[in-house]
Amino acid sequence: MPLSKLDNAMMARRAAREIAPGAVVAVDKGLPQLVPEATPPMLGAWFCHNNGTLGDIPLGAADAAALARSGCVDLALVNAVQVSTQGDFAGVLNAAHPGLGPPGNVVDLVAGARRVVAMLPHVGGDGGPNLVESLSSPADGVGCVDAIVTDAAFIEIRSGRLVLSELAPGWTVADVEAVTGPELSVSPSLREMDFTPPTGQPATKVYPDGTSAIADLPNGATVFIDGFGGPGGMAHYLLISLRDLGSRALTIVSNTAGIARVVSFGTPPGKTAIDHSVLIENGQVAKAIASFPVSPSVSRPSEFELAYRRGEVDLELVPQGTLAERLRAGGAGIPAFYTPTGAGTLIGEGKEQRTIDGRHYILEYGLRADYAIIRAHKADTLGNLVYRGTSRNFNAVMAPAARITVVEVDEIVQPGELDTEEIVTPGIFVQRIVQRPADFTGYE
Amino acid sequence: MSIFKVYENATVAVADVKDGATVLIGGTARDSEPTQLLAGLIANGARNLTCVCDFGTWDGADGVSRLAEAGQIARLISPCPFIGESGGVLQTLWASGELAVDVVPQGTLAERLRAAGAGIGGVFVPAGVGTRFGRDKETRVIDGVEYLFEPPLRADYALLRAHRADKMGNLVYRGPLRSWNSVMATAARVCVAEVDQIGDPGAIDPELVITPGIFVNRIVATAPVSREG
Repeated sequence: MPLSKLDNAMMARRAAREIAPGAVVAVDKGLPQLVPEATPPMLGAWFCHNNGTLGDIPLGAADAAALARSGCVDLALVNAVQVSTQGDFAGVLNAAHPGLGPPGNVVDLVAGARRVVAMLPHVGGDGGPNLVESLSSPADGVGCVDAIVTDAAFIEIRSGRLVLSELAPGWTVADVEAVTGPELSVSPSLREMDFTPPTGQPATKVYPDGTSAIADLPNGATVFIDGFGGPGGMAHYLLISLRDLGSRALTIVSNTAGIARVVSFGTPPGKTAIDHSVLIENGQVAKAIASFPVSPSVSRPSEFELAYRRGEVDLELVPQGTLAERLRAGGAGIPAFYTPTGAGTLIGEGKEQRTIDGRHYILEYGLRADYAIIRAHKADTLGNLVYRGTSRNFNAVMAPAARITVVEVDEIVQPGELDTEEIVTPGIFVQRIVQRPADFTGYE
Repeated sequence: MSIFKVYENATVAVADVKDGATVLIGGTARDSEPTQLLAGLIANGARNLTCVCDFGTWDGADGVSRLAEAGQIARLISPCPFIGESGGVLQTLWASGELAVDVVPQGTLAERLRAAGAGIGGVFVPAGVGTRFGRDKETRVIDGVEYLFEPPLRADYALLRAHRADKMGNLVYRGPLRSWNSVMATAARVCVAEVDQIGDPGAIDPELVITPGIFVNRIVATAPVSREG
């Protein structure tokens, strides 16, 4: 009796078992597109599609590409025609058009994903093996495939070897060896494939209060602090939580280093606005990376200026637009870029200079942080955010660039309550959510 | 820039596209391609164009194919200009050498357009290292990881499709329409948008504007399109 190959739906069910609760999964065109259907909604996985949507949330093409490279993709599922023992693969589009080799989006998907699983038939249309020593088509990714789901087996790639770890029902090791090009190692835990849908659900992102949401923020951390100049769009409640927590030797990255207190835009009489100053006067800040670190008034210096004059803090000055672009790069998998801002000025000193098409540029590097504390108007419980007016400022660009982004919001709503067209920061970039207490004012 | 951005029809809106121009085409699926603007460009007759688009001839869209069939496209830059047997005229022209095709990774194309629109001189990206896309490119190791240098991609025109505009050119999209249209809007000297509805200034909630009107030079209303057409 001929061996029964898995159909596409069963391959998708096996691939779905690679998805952890809440995982971010980038899905190539073709076979991988069956995987979302095979994944229980309860699992809370996020699927990034080729057309630029993240689930139902529309993204611009540049944002979708940034997401793919950013390091937030847990799993990329690629539609391959060949995979080598070294983890190289050729994608379906590429192999279907000899001499042209269109990459589609698959080259980008594998460049940023933590884990790459290729899906393909074990045997090609010509009867030859699709798992090979070296590719016969040009590679779309080199050394990147971690595991392979075929219609006959589940195979892992470890140190340049194909390790057979699961067999499709009815298949033996000898059956699989007979249709595989390179030699197979057999896993000591070899078993029959399991098609049970994955279970579990993601941990809640909603924290009861600010202190618990940042409780693990250690001494020496780099922290993005949102806001522009005045008190608008700043996570005042989380700033107070961070003061209460007391973590020290922090590097803060922010537009200002705290001037809302001294400029007092709209501050009620007898009150002071909460800003970075609460951390500085508490001795928690070692360094600021900022574009506007001083008070606009010489007679009313900010806490940061005073600490700087006393030699207690370091400062790295960054032009405002360059700061925003460095944050965007940090969240977009771009390590460095050339900008015209500051070329030929003090800002460019000591930096790589380059003339491109007759214009002068300097090299600037992406910025990432351990934590971002940001402010939004509303979040749903998945972490999707909307801002309000100018409060969007640095919040939206900081969120993707931090390992842990903690957001303080006015209101938390249920999934589906935010219009997908109005979501500015998708929840994949937000790890923790706290509601600002109703009686909290932003002033002390 | 004129503050009067609403043009009478698509043909007038693209009348000044010259031979040899680089043209970004925002959508290439049936529901997202700027059908009228592409028809206007065929009426214009400009030749030797370099066109930039995402997956070509997708989902029954045929605007790029018709432009190629009219002999107007010399070069196409795309992650996948045609797919399999549905390649049609693009595939035939490419195979005969009449159409040059540069294939590029999709995300890198988006990033190059974004760089052009953001005044960035070029970026380093991880995508394509070690593959055919890294050949002959400048590479650099940063923090132990190898990257490719990618320059910005700037164009003369962008032909877009949006859902709504106000007369200032502020645009909102709907669903996947946002994808290429929004990034291309920023990367061209002259950006022309074909939209379903044109409202007065203030008609669009500012929180929902995706492409600010400063990037949009010309707007035309979409004529009803026959699905059979």
